[in-house]
Amino acid sequence: MDMECIRERDGLTFVFHGDIDEYACRTLRGEIDGEIVKRSPSVVIFDLGDVSFVDSTGLGLILGRYKKLSAAGGVLRLKDVPQQVDKVLRASGVYSVVEKVK
Amino acid sequence: MNTGNHMKMQIPAYGKNESFARNAVAGFAVECSPTLSELNDIKTAVSEAVTNAVVHAYDAESEENLIEIAADIDEDNTLTVSVRDFGRGIEDVAAALEPFFTTRPEDERSGMGFTVIETFMDEFKVDSAVGKGTTVVMRKRIGKDAES
Repeated sequence: MDMECIRERDGLTFVFHGDIDEYACRTLRGEIDGEIVKRSPSVVIFDLGDVSFVDSTGLGLILGRYKKLSAAGGVLRLKDVPQQVDKVLRASGVYSVVEKVK
Repeated sequence: MNTGNHMKMQIPAYGKNESFARNAVAGFAVECSPTLSELNDIKTAVSEAVTNAVVHAYDAESEENLIEIAADIDEDNTLTVSVRDFGRGIEDVAAALEPFFTTRPEDERSGMGFTVIETFMDEFKVDSAVGKGTTVVMRKRIGKDAES
């Protein structure tokens, strides 16, 4: 798993490459939260176009960031969601709270 | 139609083995000629069961804390996978199967692992004994999409 963070004027985009599983989430969580605390973005985008795999721990990562951001008045969007990822997210009802964008 | 097949392996309950385990079972299942979607379903379900064992079954990631994974392919192209640990066991299996149930909300566990397994496989069952361990058995018939 590799992740890049792109800083924009009032937003942050995290670009993920590879598998988002429990092992990957152990480090991803801290890295993402560190950037968010530093920059207090109003919009955060998770670019998932190059994600090869997600399971329910990845779902926990998304929901956890959503809760923190929305408590601070921010928004989380999921970009370019691949098929396998989409199926896991649909099964868990994430889209009722987090917006999916192209 | 094929003659069936069987595999069994033991790995330490290390986080890094979550990826190895799901890819190993997916590699075994290739014999059934699954679609990409079916292969992803199998990988996801195996990952959930193995992650449960890594996160919940044992107190530490050490070499003697094992996960045993077995898989069978039978003559009608049904894949059966069992994921077993020898750890603490689940006190209330019925509660654990409920969506969003987790014993570790502070770690941001989604509590959706068993729900994902249920969604992605045809059937599954959980046997657990406190202090002895947990076995998750799941089954999926491969090739249904192509037949219908």
